[in-house]
Amino acid sequence: MSFLAPFYLLLAGAAAVPLLLHLLRRNVGERVEFPAARYLQRAEREHSKSLRLRNLLLMLLRVLLLLLLALAAARPFVRGVGTGHGATAVAIVLDNSLSTTAVSGGVPAFNRLRDGAHAVLLAATPADRLWLVTADGALRAGSREALLNELARVSPLEGAGDLPLAFRRAGAAVRAAPLPARVVAVATDGQRTAWASARRIPDAVAVLAFDGPPPSNHAVLGVDVQPARWTPRGAVIARIAASDSVGYRIVLGNRTAARGIAARDERPSVRLSPPERGWQSGAVELEPDDFPADDARHFAVWIGAPPAASAAASAGPFVATALATLVADGRASAGSGVTITSADMLTGLPALLLVPADPLRIGAANRALARFNIPWRFGAAVATPTAAHGGGLDGVTVSRRYRLERQGGPAPSDTLASAGADAWAVAGPGYVLLASPIDPAATDLPLRAVFLPWLSQMLGQRLGAPAGDVGAPIVASPGAPLVLPAAVDAIESASGARRSIVSEHIDAPTERGVWFLLRAGRRVGALVVEAPDAESDLTRWRPRELAQRLGGADARGVTSPDALAHAAFTAGARHPFTTPLLVLAFLLLAAEAAVVRANRPVTA
Amino acid sequence: MESSAVRADLHDPATLASLGHLEVIARWVVDGFLSGLHRSPRKGFSVEFADFRPYQPGDDLRYVDWKIAARSDRWVVKQYEEETNLRATIILDVSASMDWRGAPAAERLTKRTYGEQLAAALALLLLRQRDAVGLIRFDDAVRTSVPPRARTSQWRRLVAALMEPSGGRASDAPTALAQAARLVTRRGMVIFISDLLVDVDATLSALRGLRAAGHDVTVLHVMDPAERSFLLSGEARYADPESELVVPAGADVRAVYDRTVETVIAEWRSALGAMGARYEVVLTDQPYATPLRRVFDARQRQP
Repeated sequence: MSFLAPFYLLLAGAAAVPLLLHLLRRNVGERVEFPAARYLQRAEREHSKSLRLRNLLLMLLRVLLLLLLALAAARPFVRGVGTGHGATAVAIVLDNSLSTTAVSGGVPAFNRLRDGAHAVLLAATPADRLWLVTADGALRAGSREALLNELARVSPLEGAGDLPLAFRRAGAAVRAAPLPARVVAVATDGQRTAWASARRIPDAVAVLAFDGPPPSNHAVLGVDVQPARWTPRGAVIARIAASDSVGYRIVLGNRTAARGIAARDERPSVRLSPPERGWQSGAVELEPDDFPADDARHFAVWIGAPPAASAAASAGPFVATALATLVADGRASAGSGVTITSADMLTGLPALLLVPADPLRIGAANRALARFNIPWRFGAAVATPTAAHGGGLDGVTVSRRYRLERQGGPAPSDTLASAGADAWAVAGPGYVLLASPIDPAATDLPLRAVFLPWLSQMLGQRLGAPAGDVGAPIVASPGAPLVLPAAVDAIESASGARRSIVSEHIDAPTERGVWFLLRAGRRVGALVVEAPDAESDLTRWRPRELAQRLGGADARGVTSPDALAHAAFTAGARHPFTTPLLVLAFLLLAAEAAVVRANRPVTA
Repeated sequence: MESSAVRADLHDPATLASLGHLEVIARWVVDGFLSGLHRSPRKGFSVEFADFRPYQPGDDLRYVDWKIAARSDRWVVKQYEEETNLRATIILDVSASMDWRGAPAAERLTKRTYGEQLAAALALLLLRQRDAVGLIRFDDAVRTSVPPRARTSQWRRLVAALMEPSGGRASDAPTALAQAARLVTRRGMVIFISDLLVDVDATLSALRGLRAAGHDVTVLHVMDPAERSFLLSGEARYADPESELVVPAGADVRAVYDRTVETVIAEWRSALGAMGARYEVVLTDQPYATPLRRVFDARQRQP
């Protein structure tokens, strides 16, 4: 039993009044002169037993009457008694995550779930408090009609949402309601990954879910683009989940770049050398199935011409030979775009800078670095052989180097590789600085296999990119908060739709796909909005299992919309018990009156 | 008050009491009562001339002195010392228990006031019948004792005696009844007006003695309506003004109280009936006609 106005239970204390009067009646009351007191005494003496019984009965009736009135005033609600349902706080959690677009029996799961929410709202009365919470955690409160209108506007999300958050908010909403019956009605496809982190709540829970097996599904779980910048060659590697072989297509821009068949658990990798230039959107698409939302996954890549580079004589013969090899392979071109030189000979950026071979030129090199606002200086020479680590240079032996010293200043920089505790290779806007000459006497880097790929990467990814480019694409879930690079003033979809950006902190678009980052109208990066790959795992909780997981013993799992409506108002609902109490109180009052009337004087 | 308009004996006693003095009210009551009677078949007869008095309507023409009427053209009737063979004694309880009235006080006389009015009216009625009337007032002792006389002045003596105060609390009815037995040596009539909140056995014993002496005994049991039927409500401690008895009670005892009073009345009626005495319960809101009729009937049965 619960109470709508429990404060009135204090009135039950009034029951002590007849009790006290009964116990103290011999000691209270004024003294009244009454000559016929001897008749009173005789009456009490001769009828003491019946009087005691009658007084006890009257006392019990009056105490019970007051208790019933106090209970009725507190507006009690009890289970299993009465008709209809009492005022109930019902929060409907409508799962509209991407997985609910999966088709089962020819109908998207979302349609059935929305029907469940609709049935709950239709069963509500004006006395109920109602909320509608969608998978993104958005909580809507209002009357039945208002929420029916809201429900009609709800559509599936492009992402997974956050069902545990939505569930918590629903629980908090009903708990805050001053109603005795509180129920969270959940309409969900029961996806295990979506509910994995959900916590049980103390309120009654009714769950509408599906009892059958989930629809078969194949999905593109992820797309890796190697390298991040194509100059112009690169590879697309797809992670595909399928129970059998499935056909795939790689789309770049508006054209099909490749097709193929992926065997089960295969990760197809397609090398491409597309003619497009600049930031491009692409997708890996599978043949459609019952859950089409994860049959395609997007990616973005920057494609450009091979970087033009030249090697100064101060860079040494190994660099000149390596660059010639890259030019011959088409991964670089001969030109003045990027200069590879010793730091003391620096005349402009972008440049790959090396230590001068002559120690006497270290001072000139530091002055050149300062002149171009590069926040690093060559310090003391270190002749202790050390193994480098990081930046793809792990295991490279460094036998002679200069300690790189960071200077103050706002210019950003990255440490690509270290030697011992010191930075060995660092990079910043327009430069890569190596703390050793590329000479076998100083390091065995030019003798190792990683030298050419490393040099190609430095030229193509670090130094060959257009000025102001933000680098690798940003990946986010639909609607997720993210931080954009500075000075991005707009984003543009692959179809050309633009949105202005006023703050670096934004929520990702709710539509999946590729959004290009614009700075003064120029594409400087890309934002890939995709649902988490876990959304493609349609493994389900059964209704009963999920109900027990969310609500414990006070939970019911159902499989039809009408059953959800019924469960929402009976699983935790309590019926008003005021009227039966008042009827009972009236009967007690009548009984009391009858007992009193039986004591009326008999007319002589 | 014109008796022809409203008979005072049928009037509400409390209203009547507010209109005048005891003596006046008694006259109104008796006049009203007599006007409602048929002429009595019984006649008084003279044995010894006592006095003349002016003729009053209703006087028997046989007692008109025609000689005086012829000489002075004035009608007078002759009065005799022994106009009757009845000597009546009214015994009135004026104890503390009689000095009580229930609510509403404005509409109710105390039992004592009612008893005094009734005694006055009875005395006057009997005196009009040429009977000798005496009075004994008692509480815890005999306060007043007026021997029975039939003279005209007896009425005033009785009224004066009724006006006397009483100081006692308890009721010592047996002593008063014994005093009555001593006052009335010849067989006569004893009218006992009391609330009977007395020592029952001793009182019955005394009454039995009066009956044994040949007296005609009429007991008028004066009760306030609130005593007859327990009309008080609420929890209270009810105290007997004549004793230390205090009884806590509430409205819940109402029914059993009423049944007890019924039993008490029945016991009195039975005990008095067994000894040949008359018994009447008189409520203080009852017009005087009823008790008067009761006593008048008793008187008529006397020789």
